Amino acid sequence: MTTFIQLHLLTSYPPANLNRDDLGRPKTARMGGVERLRVSSQSLKRHWRTSDLFQEAVAGHVGTRTKLLGKELFERFIEAGIKEKDAKAWASKIADVFGALKKGSVEIEQLAHIGPEERQAVDELAQRLVEENRGPEDDELKLLRKTPAAADVALFGRMLAAEPAFNVEAACQVAHAITVHPVVIEDDYFTAVDDLNTGEEDRGAAHIGETGFAAGLFYSYVCINRNQLVDNLSGDEALAERAIAALTEAAIKVAPSGKQNSFGSRAYASYVLAEKGSQQPRSLSVAFLKPVQGHDYEADAIKALVSQNERFDKSYGQCADSRYAINVATGEGSFDELLAFLKSD
Amino acid sequence: MDALVFQLYGPMASWGTPAVGEQRPSSDHPGRSALIGLLAAALGIRRDESAAQEALVGSVRFAVKQVAPGRIIRDFHTVQVPKRDKKARYATRKDEMALSGDRLNTIISRREYRCDGLWYIAVTLTGSSDWSLQDLEAALRRPRFTLYLGRKSCPLAVPLAPRIVQADGLRAALADAFPPMVDRQQRWLGLDGTVDYFWEGDAGDIPLQDTRFPEDDVVSRDRWQFRSRPEHHARIRED
Repeated sequence: MTTFIQLHLLTSYPPANLNRDDLGRPKTARMGGVERLRVSSQSLKRHWRTSDLFQEAVAGHVGTRTKLLGKELFERFIEAGIKEKDAKAWASKIADVFGALKKGSVEIEQLAHIGPEERQAVDELAQRLVEENRGPEDDELKLLRKTPAAADVALFGRMLAAEPAFNVEAACQVAHAITVHPVVIEDDYFTAVDDLNTGEEDRGAAHIGETGFAAGLFYSYVCINRNQLVDNLSGDEALAERAIAALTEAAIKVAPSGKQNSFGSRAYASYVLAEKGSQQPRSLSVAFLKPVQGHDYEADAIKALVSQNERFDKSYGQCADSRYAINVATGEGSFDELLAFLKSD
Repeated sequence: MDALVFQLYGPMASWGTPAVGEQRPSSDHPGRSALIGLLAAALGIRRDESAAQEALVGSVRFAVKQVAPGRIIRDFHTVQVPKRDKKARYATRKDEMALSGDRLNTIISRREYRCDGLWYIAVTLTGSSDWSLQDLEAALRRPRFTLYLGRKSCPLAVPLAPRIVQADGLRAALADAFPPMVDRQQRWLGLDGTVDYFWEGDAGDIPLQDTRFPEDDVVSRDRWQFRSRPEHHARIRED
Protein backbone atom coordinates (compact mmCIF):
# COMPACT_ATOMS: atom_id res chain seq x y z
CA MET A 1 0.00 0.00 0.00
CA THR A 2 1.24 3.47 -0.80
CA THR A 3 2.31 5.62 2.13
CA PHE A 4 1.64 9.31 1.79
CA ILE A 5 3.42 11.87 3.90
CA GLN A 6 1.49 15.13 4.12
CA LEU A 7 2.84 18.39 5.49
CA HIS A 8 0.58 21.30 6.40
CA LEU A 9 2.44 24.52 7.13
CA LEU A 10 1.49 27.97 8.38
CA THR A 11 4.12 30.61 7.65
CA SER A 12 3.79 34.30 8.35
CA TYR A 13 5.58 36.76 6.08
CA PRO A 14 5.97 40.45 6.87
CA PRO A 15 5.32 42.91 4.01
CA ALA A 16 6.86 41.34 0.89
CA ASN A 17 6.53 40.68 -2.79
CA LEU A 18 7.60 37.06 -2.85
CA ASN A 19 6.23 35.93 -6.18
CA ARG A 20 5.31 38.36 -8.95
CA ASP A 21 2.98 38.34 -11.92
CA ASP A 22 3.72 39.89 -15.32
CA LEU A 23 3.06 43.39 -13.94
CA GLY A 24 5.41 42.87 -11.02
CA ARG A 25 2.57 42.70 -8.50
CA PRO A 26 2.29 39.91 -5.94
CA LYS A 27 0.40 36.89 -7.25
CA THR A 28 -3.11 36.37 -5.92
CA ALA A 29 -5.89 33.80 -5.83
CA ARG A 30 -9.52 33.92 -4.79
CA MET A 31 -10.73 31.65 -2.06
CA GLY A 32 -14.04 31.97 -0.26
CA GLY A 33 -14.85 34.83 -2.61
CA VAL A 34 -12.07 37.13 -1.38
CA GLU A 35 -8.65 37.97 -2.75
CA ARG A 36 -5.67 36.22 -1.14
CA LEU A 37 -1.95 36.40 -1.64
CA ARG A 38 -0.45 33.43 -3.44
CA VAL A 39 3.02 31.98 -3.95
CA SER A 40 3.01 29.53 -6.84
CA SER A 41 4.08 25.94 -6.30
CA GLN A 42 6.71 26.39 -9.02
CA SER A 43 8.29 29.23 -7.11
CA LEU A 44 8.30 27.30 -3.84
CA LYS A 45 9.85 24.21 -5.44
CA ARG A 46 12.52 26.18 -7.22
CA HIS A 47 13.66 27.84 -4.03
CA TRP A 48 13.59 24.64 -2.03
CA ARG A 49 15.57 22.52 -4.44
CA THR A 50 18.19 25.11 -5.29
CA SER A 51 18.69 26.05 -1.63
CA ASP A 52 22.04 25.28 -0.04
CA LEU A 53 20.14 23.67 2.79
CA PHE A 54 18.56 21.10 0.47
CA GLN A 55 21.75 20.50 -1.48
CA GLU A 56 23.75 19.93 1.69
CA ALA A 57 21.13 17.70 3.28
CA VAL A 58 21.31 15.26 0.40
CA ALA A 59 25.02 15.82 -0.28
CA GLY A 60 26.83 12.77 -1.52
CA HIS A 61 23.60 11.57 -3.03
CA VAL A 62 23.11 14.37 -5.45
CA GLY A 63 25.90 12.93 -7.50
CA THR A 64 29.34 14.10 -8.47
CA ARG A 65 30.03 17.24 -10.42
CA THR A 66 33.00 16.67 -12.67
CA LYS A 67 34.56 17.42 -16.02
CA LEU A 68 37.05 14.60 -15.74
CA LEU A 69 35.00 11.46 -16.30
CA GLY A 70 36.42 10.97 -19.80
CA LYS A 71 39.97 11.37 -18.59
CA GLU A 72 39.47 8.81 -15.87
CA LEU A 73 37.95 6.31 -18.32
CA PHE A 74 40.76 6.91 -20.82
CA GLU A 75 43.37 6.11 -18.18
CA ARG A 76 41.45 3.05 -17.10
CA PHE A 77 41.32 1.74 -20.68
CA ILE A 78 45.04 2.40 -21.22
CA GLU A 79 45.89 0.53 -18.01
CA ALA A 80 43.81 -2.41 -19.24
CA GLY A 81 45.95 -2.49 -22.37
CA ILE A 82 43.49 -0.95 -24.85
CA LYS A 83 45.08 0.83 -27.83
CA GLU A 84 45.36 4.59 -27.25
CA LYS A 85 43.17 5.46 -30.23
CA ASP A 86 40.36 3.13 -29.10
CA ALA A 87 40.69 4.17 -25.47
CA LYS A 88 40.24 7.78 -26.48
CA ALA A 89 37.27 7.07 -28.76
CA TRP A 90 35.44 4.94 -26.20
CA ALA A 91 36.11 7.31 -23.32
CA SER A 92 34.84 10.29 -25.33
CA LYS A 93 31.71 8.43 -26.39
CA ILE A 94 30.80 7.69 -22.78
CA ALA A 95 31.76 11.10 -21.40
CA ASP A 96 29.80 12.78 -24.18
CA VAL A 97 26.59 11.35 -22.71
CA PHE A 98 27.06 13.66 -19.73
CA GLY A 99 27.96 16.85 -21.56
CA ALA A 100 29.56 18.24 -24.69
CA LEU A 101 33.30 17.62 -24.83
CA LYS A 102 36.05 20.15 -25.34
CA LYS A 103 37.36 20.10 -28.89
CA GLY A 104 39.86 17.29 -29.43
CA SER A 105 39.74 16.31 -25.75
CA VAL A 106 38.03 13.73 -23.57
CA GLU A 107 37.28 16.44 -21.04
CA ILE A 108 33.68 17.62 -20.62
CA GLU A 109 33.29 21.34 -21.29
CA GLN A 110 31.28 22.13 -18.21
CA LEU A 111 30.85 20.50 -14.84
CA ALA A 112 28.56 17.55 -15.45
CA HIS A 113 26.32 16.07 -12.82
CA ILE A 114 26.72 12.32 -12.48
CA GLY A 115 24.44 10.41 -10.13
CA PRO A 116 25.72 7.50 -8.03
CA GLU A 117 23.85 4.93 -10.11
CA GLU A 118 25.03 6.50 -13.33
CA ARG A 119 28.57 6.28 -12.01
CA GLN A 120 28.02 2.60 -11.31
CA ALA A 121 26.56 2.01 -14.77
CA VAL A 122 29.58 3.71 -16.33
CA ASP A 123 31.95 1.50 -14.35
CA GLU A 124 30.07 -1.65 -15.35
CA LEU A 125 30.04 -0.61 -18.99
CA ALA A 126 33.76 0.17 -18.95
CA GLN A 127 34.46 -3.21 -17.39
CA ARG A 128 32.41 -4.95 -20.10
CA LEU A 129 34.15 -3.06 -22.91
CA VAL A 130 37.55 -4.06 -21.59
CA GLU A 131 36.53 -7.69 -21.23
CA GLU A 132 34.99 -7.87 -24.69
CA ASN A 133 37.56 -5.55 -26.24
CA ARG A 134 35.03 -3.45 -28.14
CA GLY A 135 33.54 0.04 -28.23
CA PRO A 136 30.20 0.99 -26.64
CA GLU A 137 26.95 0.46 -28.58
CA ASP A 138 24.42 3.29 -28.90
CA ASP A 139 21.88 1.42 -26.76
CA GLU A 140 24.37 0.92 -23.97
CA LEU A 141 25.06 4.64 -23.91
CA LYS A 142 21.37 5.44 -23.68
CA LEU A 143 21.02 3.33 -20.54
CA LEU A 144 23.51 5.44 -18.68
CA ARG A 145 21.03 8.17 -17.82
CA LYS A 146 17.89 6.20 -17.23
CA THR A 147 17.77 6.06 -13.47
CA PRO A 148 19.38 9.17 -12.07
CA ALA A 149 19.52 8.89 -8.30
CA ALA A 150 19.48 12.64 -7.90
CA ALA A 151 17.17 13.38 -5.00
CA ASP A 152 15.79 16.56 -6.52
CA VAL A 153 14.74 14.84 -9.74
CA ALA A 154 13.16 11.99 -7.77
CA LEU A 155 11.13 14.44 -5.70
CA PHE A 156 10.18 17.04 -8.26
CA GLY A 157 10.23 15.03 -11.46
CA ARG A 158 11.54 15.82 -14.89
CA MET A 159 9.94 16.16 -18.27
CA LEU A 160 11.99 16.14 -21.44
CA ALA A 161 9.78 16.49 -24.47
CA ALA A 162 12.59 15.35 -26.76
CA GLU A 163 13.38 12.20 -24.78
CA PRO A 164 10.32 10.82 -22.98
CA ALA A 165 12.32 7.80 -21.81
CA PHE A 166 14.15 10.07 -19.38
CA ASN A 167 10.99 11.46 -17.81
CA VAL A 168 10.58 10.98 -14.09
CA GLU A 169 7.19 11.36 -12.44
CA ALA A 170 7.51 13.66 -9.43
CA ALA A 171 7.06 11.88 -6.10
CA CYS A 172 6.17 15.13 -4.41
CA GLN A 173 3.10 17.31 -4.80
CA VAL A 174 3.32 20.95 -3.79
CA ALA A 175 0.27 23.21 -3.66
CA HIS A 176 0.29 26.95 -4.23
CA ALA A 177 0.64 28.67 -0.86
CA ILE A 178 -2.40 30.86 -0.19
CA THR A 179 -3.05 33.27 2.68
CA VAL A 180 -5.61 32.26 5.29
CA HIS A 181 -7.05 35.79 5.24
CA PRO A 182 -8.06 38.42 2.66
CA VAL A 183 -5.37 40.82 1.52
CA VAL A 184 -5.28 44.25 0.01
CA ILE A 185 -2.15 44.79 -2.00
CA GLU A 186 -0.56 48.14 -1.24
CA ASP A 187 1.70 50.21 -3.43
CA ASP A 188 5.02 51.42 -2.19
CA TYR A 189 5.93 54.60 -4.04
CA PHE A 190 9.65 55.04 -3.84
CA THR A 191 12.36 57.35 -5.11
CA ALA A 192 16.09 56.89 -5.41
CA VAL A 193 18.36 59.89 -5.14
CA ASP A 194 21.59 60.33 -7.07
CA ASP A 195 24.46 60.54 -4.58
CA LEU A 196 26.57 62.64 -6.94
CA ASN A 197 23.83 65.15 -7.65
CA THR A 198 24.93 68.22 -5.70
CA GLY A 199 21.51 69.78 -6.05
CA GLU A 200 22.83 72.90 -7.74
CA GLU A 201 20.58 72.54 -10.78
CA ASP A 202 17.76 70.38 -9.49
CA ARG A 203 17.04 68.28 -6.44
CA GLY A 204 14.77 65.77 -8.18
CA ALA A 205 14.99 62.02 -7.72
CA ALA A 206 17.08 60.01 -10.16
CA HIS A 207 14.52 57.24 -10.23
CA ILE A 208 10.93 56.78 -9.14
CA GLY A 209 8.97 53.59 -9.03
CA GLU A 210 6.17 51.65 -7.46
CA THR A 211 6.18 48.19 -5.92
CA GLY A 212 3.14 46.21 -4.90
CA PHE A 213 3.44 44.45 -1.56
CA ALA A 214 1.40 42.81 1.16
CA ALA A 215 1.93 40.77 4.29
CA GLY A 216 0.30 37.44 4.89
CA LEU A 217 -0.02 34.24 6.85
CA PHE A 218 0.23 31.46 4.28
CA TYR A 219 -1.09 27.93 4.35
CA SER A 220 1.13 25.57 2.33
CA TYR A 221 0.65 21.92 1.61
CA VAL A 222 3.11 19.24 0.51
CA CYS A 223 2.34 15.60 -0.17
CA ILE A 224 5.09 13.04 -0.71
CA ASN A 225 4.33 9.66 -2.23
CA ARG A 226 6.91 7.61 -0.35
CA ASN A 227 6.66 4.50 -2.53
CA GLN A 228 7.10 6.48 -5.71
CA LEU A 229 10.06 8.30 -4.22
CA VAL A 230 11.76 5.01 -3.36
CA ASP A 231 10.97 3.74 -6.89
CA ASN A 232 12.41 6.89 -8.44
CA LEU A 233 15.55 6.33 -6.38
CA SER A 234 15.80 2.73 -7.64
CA GLY A 235 14.95 1.26 -4.25
CA ASP A 236 17.37 3.30 -2.16
CA GLU A 237 15.36 3.64 1.07
CA ALA A 238 18.07 5.44 2.97
CA LEU A 239 18.35 8.11 0.32
CA ALA A 240 14.56 8.45 0.26
CA GLU A 241 14.63 9.18 4.02
CA ARG A 242 17.25 11.84 3.51
CA ALA A 243 15.34 13.39 0.64
CA ILE A 244 12.17 13.54 2.76
CA ALA A 245 14.06 15.14 5.66
CA ALA A 246 15.74 17.62 3.31
CA LEU A 247 12.48 18.60 1.66
CA THR A 248 10.75 18.99 5.03
CA GLU A 249 13.50 21.22 6.32
CA ALA A 250 13.46 23.32 3.16
CA ALA A 251 9.67 23.66 3.26
CA ILE A 252 9.86 24.89 6.85
CA LYS A 253 12.87 27.19 6.51
CA VAL A 254 13.39 28.39 2.94
CA ALA A 255 11.49 31.48 1.81
CA PRO A 256 11.00 32.49 -1.82
CA SER A 257 13.73 34.95 -2.75
CA GLY A 258 11.48 37.45 -4.59
CA LYS A 259 12.31 41.04 -3.59
CA GLN A 260 14.18 39.87 -0.49
CA ASN A 261 16.66 42.71 -0.94
CA SER A 262 13.86 45.25 -0.68
CA PHE A 263 11.80 43.60 2.04
CA GLY A 264 14.01 41.15 3.93
CA SER A 265 11.00 39.00 4.61
CA ARG A 266 12.50 35.59 5.27
CA ALA A 267 10.48 33.48 7.70
CA TYR A 268 10.25 29.99 9.18
CA ALA A 269 6.96 28.14 9.46
CA SER A 270 5.33 28.71 12.83
CA TYR A 271 3.08 25.68 12.70
CA VAL A 272 3.68 22.32 11.02
CA LEU A 273 1.33 19.35 10.98
CA ALA A 274 2.68 16.11 9.49
CA GLU A 275 0.48 13.13 8.64
CA LYS A 276 1.26 9.61 7.51
CA GLY A 277 -1.00 6.96 6.08
CA SER A 278 -2.25 5.22 2.96
CA GLN A 279 -5.60 7.04 2.97
CA GLN A 280 -6.39 9.41 0.11
CA PRO A 281 -4.40 12.58 0.79
CA ARG A 282 -6.25 15.89 1.02
CA SER A 283 -5.12 19.36 1.90
CA LEU A 284 -6.78 21.22 4.77
CA SER A 285 -7.35 24.49 2.91
CA VAL A 286 -11.08 24.24 3.62
CA ALA A 287 -10.15 25.45 7.11
CA PHE A 288 -9.62 28.87 5.52
CA LEU A 289 -12.45 28.91 2.98
CA LYS A 290 -14.15 31.22 5.46
CA PRO A 291 -11.30 33.73 5.78
CA VAL A 292 -9.61 34.18 9.16
CA GLN A 293 -10.42 37.72 10.25
CA GLY A 294 -9.77 38.00 13.97
CA HIS A 295 -7.06 39.93 15.81
CA ASP A 296 -4.70 36.98 16.18
CA TYR A 297 -4.30 35.42 12.73
CA GLU A 298 -1.81 32.84 13.87
CA ALA A 299 -3.74 31.41 16.82
CA ASP A 300 -7.00 31.53 14.85
CA ALA A 301 -5.44 29.82 11.84
CA ILE A 302 -3.97 27.00 13.95
CA LYS A 303 -7.32 26.53 15.63
CA ALA A 304 -9.12 26.43 12.28
CA LEU A 305 -6.61 23.93 10.87
CA VAL A 306 -6.86 21.58 13.85
CA SER A 307 -10.63 21.72 13.91
CA GLN A 308 -10.89 21.11 10.14
CA ASN A 309 -8.75 18.01 10.55
CA GLU A 310 -11.07 16.74 13.29
CA ARG A 311 -14.16 17.49 11.21
CA PHE A 312 -12.81 15.53 8.23
CA ASP A 313 -12.02 12.56 10.48
CA LYS A 314 -15.49 12.71 11.98
CA SER A 315 -17.35 12.93 8.66
CA TYR A 316 -15.23 10.60 6.55
CA GLY A 317 -13.41 8.32 9.01
CA GLN A 318 -9.79 8.56 10.13
CA CYS A 319 -7.94 10.36 7.30
CA ALA A 320 -4.38 9.46 8.43
CA ASP A 321 -2.78 6.73 10.54
CA SER A 322 -0.50 8.97 12.59
CA ARG A 323 0.22 12.66 13.09
CA TYR A 324 2.82 14.94 14.59
CA ALA A 325 2.73 18.71 15.05
CA ILE A 326 5.13 21.54 15.84
CA ASN A 327 3.55 24.65 17.33
CA VAL A 328 6.17 27.35 17.72
CA ALA A 329 3.85 29.70 19.66
CA THR A 330 3.18 27.19 22.42
CA GLY A 331 6.55 25.47 22.20
CA GLU A 332 5.01 22.08 21.43
CA GLY A 333 6.97 19.67 19.29
CA SER A 334 10.45 19.95 17.86
CA PHE A 335 12.06 19.69 14.45
CA ASP A 336 14.16 16.67 15.46
CA GLU A 337 11.11 14.79 16.68
CA LEU A 338 9.31 15.68 13.47
CA LEU A 339 12.12 14.11 11.44
CA ALA A 340 12.03 11.02 13.65
CA PHE A 341 8.27 10.80 13.11
CA LEU A 342 8.69 10.98 9.34
CA LYS A 343 11.24 8.19 9.42
CA SER A 344 9.60 5.59 11.63
CA ASP A 345 7.25 3.13 9.99
CA MET B 1 -28.24 1.92 -12.66
CA ASP B 2 -25.29 1.44 -10.31
CA ALA B 3 -22.96 4.40 -10.08
CA LEU B 4 -19.86 5.26 -8.12
CA VAL B 5 -20.16 8.87 -6.95
CA PHE B 6 -17.48 11.08 -5.42
CA GLN B 7 -16.72 14.77 -4.91
CA LEU B 8 -13.91 16.98 -6.21
CA TYR B 9 -12.95 20.26 -4.57
CA GLY B 10 -9.75 22.26 -4.28
CA PRO B 11 -8.86 25.92 -3.80
CA MET B 12 -7.33 25.68 -7.27
CA ALA B 13 -8.03 23.36 -10.20
CA SER B 14 -7.06 23.40 -13.86
CA TRP B 15 -8.94 21.29 -16.38
CA GLY B 16 -6.71 21.55 -19.41
CA THR B 17 -8.18 21.81 -22.89
CA PRO B 18 -6.27 21.11 -26.11
CA ALA B 19 -3.59 23.77 -26.18
CA VAL B 20 -0.29 24.48 -27.82
CA GLY B 21 2.18 27.14 -26.85
CA GLU B 22 1.94 29.86 -24.29
CA GLN B 23 -1.75 29.86 -23.36
CA ARG B 24 -2.93 26.96 -21.19
CA PRO B 25 -6.67 27.47 -20.72
CA SER B 26 -8.89 25.54 -18.32
CA SER B 27 -12.33 24.18 -19.02
CA ASP B 28 -14.98 24.90 -16.37
CA HIS B 29 -15.36 21.22 -15.44
CA PRO B 30 -13.22 18.08 -15.51
CA GLY B 31 -13.25 16.41 -18.92
CA ARG B 32 -13.07 12.75 -19.73
CA SER B 33 -9.27 12.64 -19.96
CA ALA B 34 -8.88 14.26 -16.52
CA LEU B 35 -11.25 11.77 -14.91
CA ILE B 36 -9.65 8.79 -16.68
CA GLY B 37 -6.31 10.09 -15.41
CA LEU B 38 -7.66 10.36 -11.87
CA LEU B 39 -8.94 6.77 -11.87
CA ALA B 40 -5.76 5.48 -13.53
CA ALA B 41 -3.62 7.16 -10.88
CA ALA B 42 -5.78 5.73 -8.11
CA LEU B 43 -5.46 2.24 -9.61
CA GLY B 44 -1.72 2.65 -10.12
CA ILE B 45 -1.78 2.50 -13.93
CA ARG B 46 1.22 4.36 -15.29
CA ARG B 47 0.98 6.72 -18.28
CA ASP B 48 3.05 4.36 -20.42
CA GLU B 49 0.98 1.25 -19.65
CA SER B 50 -1.04 1.56 -22.85
CA ALA B 51 -3.00 -1.69 -22.58
CA ALA B 52 -4.32 -0.95 -19.10
CA GLN B 53 -4.98 2.69 -20.05
CA GLU B 54 -7.02 1.55 -23.06
CA ALA B 55 -8.90 -0.99 -20.97
CA LEU B 56 -9.85 1.73 -18.50
CA VAL B 57 -10.98 4.04 -21.33
CA GLY B 58 -13.27 1.27 -22.57
CA SER B 59 -14.62 0.51 -19.10
CA VAL B 60 -16.14 3.69 -17.76
CA ARG B 61 -18.54 6.54 -18.51
CA PHE B 62 -18.70 9.74 -16.53
CA ALA B 63 -21.27 12.27 -15.48
CA VAL B 64 -20.33 15.55 -13.82
CA LYS B 65 -22.56 17.68 -11.63
CA GLN B 66 -20.96 21.08 -11.51
CA VAL B 67 -22.00 22.71 -8.25
CA ALA B 68 -19.53 25.60 -8.64
CA PRO B 69 -17.37 26.24 -11.72
CA GLY B 70 -14.97 28.35 -9.65
CA ARG B 71 -13.59 31.75 -10.50
CA ILE B 72 -10.92 31.98 -13.16
CA ILE B 73 -7.45 33.29 -12.39
CA ARG B 74 -4.60 33.51 -14.87
CA ASP B 75 -1.15 32.66 -13.68
CA PHE B 76 1.87 34.19 -15.31
CA HIS B 77 4.54 31.49 -15.18
CA THR B 78 8.12 31.76 -16.37
CA VAL B 79 10.57 28.91 -16.71
CA GLN B 80 14.27 29.20 -17.34
CA VAL B 81 15.51 26.64 -19.82
CA PRO B 82 18.89 26.05 -21.40
CA LYS B 83 19.31 26.74 -25.10
CA ARG B 84 18.64 23.74 -27.27
CA ASP B 85 21.75 21.63 -27.34
CA LYS B 86 21.41 18.13 -28.69
CA LYS B 87 24.53 16.94 -26.96
CA ALA B 88 23.80 18.31 -23.53
CA ARG B 89 22.03 16.27 -20.89
CA TYR B 90 21.23 17.73 -17.52
CA ALA B 91 20.68 15.32 -14.66
CA THR B 92 19.30 17.90 -12.29
CA ARG B 93 17.68 21.28 -12.43
CA LYS B 94 20.69 22.76 -10.70
CA ASP B 95 22.82 21.49 -13.61
CA GLU B 96 20.72 23.45 -16.06
CA MET B 97 20.76 26.57 -13.97
CA ALA B 98 24.54 26.39 -13.68
CA LEU B 99 24.88 27.45 -17.32
CA SER B 100 25.97 31.00 -17.96
CA GLY B 101 23.21 33.54 -18.42
CA ASP B 102 23.53 33.83 -22.18
CA ARG B 103 22.81 30.12 -22.55
CA LEU B 104 19.56 30.32 -20.60
CA ASN B 105 16.26 31.36 -22.12
CA THR B 106 13.01 32.20 -20.41
CA ILE B 107 9.83 30.64 -21.66
CA ILE B 108 6.44 31.91 -20.59
CA SER B 109 3.23 30.05 -20.00
CA ARG B 110 -0.03 31.65 -19.00
CA ARG B 111 -2.03 29.12 -17.07
CA GLU B 112 -5.68 29.33 -16.17
CA TYR B 113 -6.91 28.01 -12.87
CA ARG B 114 -10.36 27.65 -11.34
CA CYS B 115 -10.57 28.82 -7.73
CA ASP B 116 -13.07 27.13 -5.40
CA GLY B 117 -14.73 24.87 -7.97
CA LEU B 118 -16.85 22.00 -6.65
CA TRP B 119 -17.85 19.01 -8.74
CA TYR B 120 -19.68 15.76 -8.01
CA ILE B 121 -18.78 12.85 -10.31
CA ALA B 122 -20.69 9.69 -11.18
CA VAL B 123 -18.89 6.75 -12.78
CA THR B 124 -20.88 4.03 -14.52
CA LEU B 125 -19.47 0.91 -16.14
CA THR B 126 -19.84 0.02 -19.80
CA GLY B 127 -20.75 -3.55 -20.69
CA SER B 128 -17.12 -4.64 -20.77
CA SER B 129 -15.11 -3.55 -17.79
CA ASP B 130 -12.00 -5.03 -16.23
CA TRP B 131 -12.89 -3.40 -12.93
CA SER B 132 -15.94 -3.44 -10.69
CA LEU B 133 -17.26 -0.26 -9.08
CA GLN B 134 -16.04 -1.73 -5.77
CA ASP B 135 -12.50 -1.95 -7.20
CA LEU B 136 -12.64 1.69 -8.22
CA GLU B 137 -14.09 2.76 -4.88
CA ALA B 138 -11.31 0.98 -2.99
CA ALA B 139 -8.67 2.56 -5.24
CA LEU B 140 -10.06 6.05 -4.61
CA ARG B 141 -9.98 5.49 -0.85
CA ARG B 142 -6.36 4.30 -0.89
CA PRO B 143 -4.84 5.46 -4.17
CA ARG B 144 -1.52 4.18 -5.50
CA PHE B 145 -0.36 7.47 -7.03
CA THR B 146 -0.97 11.06 -6.00
CA LEU B 147 -4.31 12.46 -7.16
CA TYR B 148 -4.89 16.03 -8.27
CA LEU B 149 -7.33 18.40 -9.93
CA GLY B 150 -5.90 18.62 -13.44
CA ARG B 151 -2.45 19.83 -12.40
CA LYS B 152 -0.20 18.28 -9.84
CA SER B 153 0.00 21.61 -7.99
CA CYS B 154 -3.77 21.42 -7.38
CA PRO B 155 -4.31 18.86 -4.62
CA LEU B 156 -7.70 17.57 -3.58
CA ALA B 157 -8.88 19.50 -0.53
CA VAL B 158 -11.66 17.18 0.60
CA PRO B 159 -11.88 13.41 0.83
CA LEU B 160 -13.37 12.05 -2.41
CA ALA B 161 -15.83 10.15 -0.20
CA PRO B 162 -16.59 7.58 -2.92
CA ARG B 163 -19.67 5.43 -2.53
CA ILE B 164 -21.79 3.24 -4.75
CA VAL B 165 -25.42 4.25 -5.24
CA GLN B 166 -28.36 2.75 -7.08
CA ALA B 167 -30.59 5.17 -8.97
CA ASP B 168 -32.89 5.44 -11.95
CA GLY B 169 -30.83 8.17 -13.54
CA LEU B 170 -27.70 10.26 -13.23
CA ARG B 171 -29.44 13.19 -11.59
CA ALA B 172 -30.83 10.94 -8.88
CA ALA B 173 -27.42 9.27 -8.49
CA LEU B 174 -25.81 12.65 -7.93
CA ALA B 175 -28.64 14.07 -5.82
CA ASP B 176 -27.48 12.68 -2.49
CA ALA B 177 -25.44 15.69 -1.50
CA PHE B 178 -22.12 15.30 0.25
CA PRO B 179 -21.85 16.93 3.65
CA PRO B 180 -21.16 20.67 3.31
CA MET B 181 -17.48 21.54 3.71
CA VAL B 182 -18.15 24.62 5.84
CA ASP B 183 -21.10 26.29 7.51
CA ARG B 184 -22.90 28.51 5.01
CA GLN B 185 -21.19 26.83 2.08
CA GLN B 186 -23.48 28.72 -0.33
CA ARG B 187 -21.95 32.00 0.75
CA TRP B 188 -18.29 30.98 0.79
CA LEU B 189 -18.43 29.21 -2.57
CA GLY B 190 -20.69 31.86 -4.10
CA LEU B 191 -23.37 29.32 -5.07
CA ASP B 192 -26.58 30.57 -6.66
CA GLY B 193 -28.52 27.30 -6.80
CA THR B 194 -27.84 26.71 -10.49
CA VAL B 195 -25.97 23.54 -11.38
CA ASP B 196 -24.67 22.15 -14.65
CA TYR B 197 -24.78 18.49 -15.62
CA PHE B 198 -22.39 17.08 -18.21
CA TRP B 199 -22.70 13.43 -19.15
CA GLU B 200 -21.94 10.72 -21.68
CA GLY B 201 -24.51 8.29 -23.02
CA ASP B 202 -28.03 8.19 -21.59
CA ALA B 203 -28.68 10.18 -18.42
CA GLY B 204 -32.06 8.62 -17.71
CA ASP B 205 -33.58 11.48 -15.72
CA ILE B 206 -32.01 14.70 -17.04
CA PRO B 207 -33.66 16.53 -19.96
CA LEU B 208 -30.96 17.17 -22.54
CA GLN B 209 -30.44 20.85 -23.42
CA ASP B 210 -27.43 20.75 -25.73
CA THR B 211 -24.60 18.53 -26.89
CA ARG B 212 -20.95 19.57 -27.24
CA PHE B 213 -17.95 17.80 -28.73
CA PRO B 214 -14.89 18.32 -26.54
CA GLU B 215 -11.65 16.75 -27.77
CA ASP B 216 -10.77 14.94 -24.60
CA ASP B 217 -11.40 11.26 -25.22
CA VAL B 218 -8.12 9.49 -24.68
CA VAL B 219 -6.83 7.61 -27.73
CA SER B 220 -3.27 7.19 -26.55
CA ARG B 221 -1.72 8.53 -23.37
CA ASP B 222 1.67 7.62 -24.89
CA ARG B 223 1.31 9.72 -27.99
CA TRP B 224 -0.82 12.32 -26.18
CA GLN B 225 -3.61 11.75 -28.65
CA PHE B 226 -7.27 12.61 -28.09
CA ARG B 227 -10.45 12.49 -30.17
CA SER B 228 -13.72 14.35 -29.82
CA ARG B 229 -16.74 12.77 -28.19
CA PRO B 230 -20.32 13.86 -27.64
CA GLU B 231 -20.95 15.40 -24.22
CA HIS B 232 -24.49 16.23 -23.20
CA HIS B 233 -25.31 19.21 -21.03
CA ALA B 234 -28.16 20.68 -19.03
CA ARG B 235 -28.29 23.68 -16.69
CA ILE B 236 -30.83 23.26 -13.96
CA ARG B 237 -31.94 25.37 -11.03
CA GLU B 238 -31.79 23.32 -7.83
CA ASP B 239 -32.48 24.98 -4.53
